[in-house]
Amino acid sequence: MGAATAPAATEAAEGGGGRLGDIAFEDRMATVDFRVGERAHIVVDSDVCRSCTTRACVTACPANLFAPTADGGILFNYEQCFECGTCYMVCNGEGALTWTYPDGGQGVVFRQG
Amino acid sequence: MADEQAPYAGPGTSPGTAVGDRPADVDVIVVGAGPAGAAAALAAARAGASVVLLERGPFPGSKNVYGGVIYGRILDAVLPNWWEEVPVERWVVRRSTMVLTETQALTVDFRTQTWAGPPYNGMTAYRADFDSWLAGKATAAGARLVTSTVATGLLRDAAGRVVGVRTDRTDGELRARVVIAADGVNSFLAKESGLLPKADPKHHTLGVKEVLSLPREVIDERFGLRGQEGLDIEMLGNTRGIPGGGFLYTNSDTVSIGAVLALPGLAAAKVRPEEIIADLKAHPAIAPYLRGATVKEYAAHLIPEGGYDHMPALATDGLLIAGDAAGMTLAAGIWLEGVNFAIGSGLVAGRVAAEAAAAGDASKKRLARYRDELEKQFVLADHKRLRGAPEIILSERIQRRYPGLVADLVESLFTVTNPEPKPGALALLRRAAKRNGVSLRELARDGLRIGKVFR
Amino acid sequence: MTNATGDGARGGGPLVVVCLRVTDLRPEVDPLTGVVTRSAHGAGLSAADEAALERALAIARAWSGRVLAVAAGSPIVEGPLRAAAALGAAVLRVAWPPHDEADGHGAAPGAASAVNAASAVDPEPFGPRAAYLADLAGDTRALAEVLVDAIRTVGEPTLVLCGDLSPDRGTGALPAQLAHALGAAQALGLVSLTPTDDGWLLAERRLDGGRRERLRVPTPAVCSAEAAGLRLRRAALPALLAAGDAPVPAARPTRPAVGAVEVVDVRAYRPRARVVPPPAGATPRDRLLALTGALVAHDPPTIIGPTDAGQAADALVAYLVRNGYLTA
Ligand SMILES: Cc1cc2nc3c(=O)[nH]c(=O)nc-3n(C[C@H](O)[C@H](O)[C@H](O)COP(=O)(O)OP(=O)(O)OC[C@H]3O[C@@H](n4cnc5c(N)ncnc54)[C@H](O)[C@@H]3O)c2cc1C
Ligand code: SF4
Ligand code: SF4
Repeated sequence: MGAATAPAATEAAEGGGGRLGDIAFEDRMATVDFRVGERAHIVVDSDVCRSCTTRACVTACPANLFAPTADGGILFNYEQCFECGTCYMVCNGEGALTWTYPDGGQGVVFRQG
Repeated sequence: MADEQAPYAGPGTSPGTAVGDRPADVDVIVVGAGPAGAAAALAAARAGASVVLLERGPFPGSKNVYGGVIYGRILDAVLPNWWEEVPVERWVVRRSTMVLTETQALTVDFRTQTWAGPPYNGMTAYRADFDSWLAGKATAAGARLVTSTVATGLLRDAAGRVVGVRTDRTDGELRARVVIAADGVNSFLAKESGLLPKADPKHHTLGVKEVLSLPREVIDERFGLRGQEGLDIEMLGNTRGIPGGGFLYTNSDTVSIGAVLALPGLAAAKVRPEEIIADLKAHPAIAPYLRGATVKEYAAHLIPEGGYDHMPALATDGLLIAGDAAGMTLAAGIWLEGVNFAIGSGLVAGRVAAEAAAAGDASKKRLARYRDELEKQFVLADHKRLRGAPEIILSERIQRRYPGLVADLVESLFTVTNPEPKPGALALLRRAAKRNGVSLRELARDGLRIGKVFR
Repeated sequence: MTNATGDGARGGGPLVVVCLRVTDLRPEVDPLTGVVTRSAHGAGLSAADEAALERALAIARAWSGRVLAVAAGSPIVEGPLRAAAALGAAVLRVAWPPHDEADGHGAAPGAASAVNAASAVDPEPFGPRAAYLADLAGDTRALAEVLVDAIRTVGEPTLVLCGDLSPDRGTGALPAQLAHALGAAQALGLVSLTPTDDGWLLAERRLDGGRRERLRVPTPAVCSAEAAGLRLRRAALPALLAAGDAPVPAARPTRPAVGAVEVVDVRAYRPRARVVPPPAGATPRDRLLALTGALVAHDPPTIIGPTDAGQAADALVAYLVRNGYLTA
């Protein structure tokens, strides 16, 4: 029920440079409150993505929501989105993204922003 | 049904909905209850206007992310002795600037106790708390705050003047004499009005941040703080060549650590943003500070970094833009200030809008006073003075080569090479420059340029 | 105390009441100490409570009745109540648990309302910690009786709706206690509830094995239901602006919070430490084997049956006796 505090963040690098303790991505996202709306506020047209050469969204999206599929398209889940705008700014394919804010009151809620 | 208009707020919206002449519901609509919007609503309400403040999140601050330090002196204009009630985490008394390479760190550390008492200098705070508090000041002054409501577009009259906004609620059109778009960095209203270009990755950076929890006493001990004292660290380098930097701020019982990354560089580098935070956290100069800390919240937000030269026009008929919507964050290397600029611009926008509403003239010409007043204040004066900063700070040499050069130089100065005699400083500089691929001529030229920009 | 606001309370028609639990939906729980910190920023209604409000609005419309939304708690509950008022419900706050609210705890942020102007961040927005403990200690019956008192200041309810469980206390017992206090019928843990033409209610409840149970419920009734995918409608902008910052009437309970149990402190459940002797063995490998029991033969799992209930019970008892959990 409670907001998860994810385990062991920075045990790394005490004597060297290892990254052992960094948290799993799901745990990282579980720290954030998302009030998921019914409507997908961002929609990706996978057909446009198939001819995209940069796929900048895949690494740049801080929530890691763009998953490349085997057939060269993009699988997108809108639920855990920060509504930051990075994807539409870096997107290389005209018309690939339909980007809107979620309906009022829904979407991400930061407590420690 | 003829006009196809997007019912949601986004970069693809229509040029606005044309509506007939109907009287305004209120004098001023402010979109966005961030610092700019709350300040604008406050100033307009104080000037006697009827004000509606729209916010898309469930409470002010719920959608907002920043690094963590607010420079509060602008709040003198909001209320005297604001420091007695502002929701502060810590008062910054210590500021460090770190130049990092993978294995080295050079820190310039400054501390002053004058920042530990009124009127203070910087404070760390959470935006959920701060923005709610400031919006509370606006409602106390008479503005009406409506949360969980997205402004999805502009209403225009037959002449194309902005006369209100559409929202995502039933019967959601609201008319006003003046609309203030304080809807933050993505400002779809400013985009719809034509004041901002639709997408512009060159002048935006992505900020990613982790809030890590650590017991209060541990923070005090590790960072050399007492009571409500706080520390603010800015970092340059160690961002895998992506132009940008890092930051670390102390809150009462958490530490905020994050990175600011230029969008084109981030997109090209094919590195995930949270990996840059992980790099910073694992850096030998940072890791001991954070031992045992757990992630409490992860967050991301864009920052407009175009500076003065890329600031849009700030007004059109019936519309003013303030704060990040107008690209007013001052991001010039060791400065990352946006909240104070947002409040400063919001206060002026609110007053100008209220006066225009009272005078019954919301023309572009009349609203131009807004910019004139900002030019006289720190808001545009600082931006103008530092107009060259974004370019130089995000430049290749500053970002990729100088951190290594400086760190190598200092390392060689401090490394005792017995029985070899100490080499001369100039030789060391030449060697460090060469190792990092910088010619002394470039160094001199950049030195001059930096001197000019930050004069 | 009949000064509940909102259009829905006025006029006649049957009274549909919805009881709402306002709490921090993502409280912070210290993993070591179990201390729960609740923040005003998370204050809201669970999906089931929102669905209950939606059902109340729909049923009241079908009956040409009125809706009363009641929430017990500190002034922080006013945020969700104002949102309910914007949807046409009359609203009423019950000051609960009973304590002195003059200390300014728990102002209500949220829909169209002022943020606490007096202090920066209220460390206890849901009321003082001691009162929270008193709330945990007080049995649900006391709360139910106080709620019924408050509801009756507005009118005699035809239907009282609740979410199936409150997200923080979560026993689901309150609706049953309400039904008892009102002398009404009850149908709890439903997945759907629709009014029929003859003034009854048609309810559906989940049973094991994917089956459903259909109930015809007479009125007056108390029903609790899951969200079951039902979402709360959004208020229209003019209604939201009209509801604005109107004060939410508060009812102060006259009865004490009778508690059968006195709660002094709450902390995380931690089982008592058990001493495990170090395993025997000369080499680390031996000790590891001894510790994990990797090479020790175990009883393979036994499959009993198919058999009837009596024989299965006998087999279970025999197993427990065999392994020393029961004496024969
Ligand atoms: C990582 C990072 C670090 C930073 N560090 C600092 C720092 O240390 N110090 C500092 O002073 N500044 C810092 N800044 C900059 C600072 O956060 C911004 O400059 C400041 O928040 C701008 O305020 P604003 O009111 O203009 O916009 P915002 O704070 O973005 O507020 C805009 C508001 O409008 C709302 N909104 C948007 N669109 C709509 C719509 N269509 N309808 C209704 N509501 C809408 C949003 O929900 C939001 O509440 C940082 C920024 C980032 C991203
Ligand atoms: S950058 Fe745009 S076009 Fe390319 S894969 Fe991502 S969403 Fe598709
Ligand atoms: S808005 Fe930000 S978080 Fe959401 S999908 Fe785009 S890049 Fe990812």
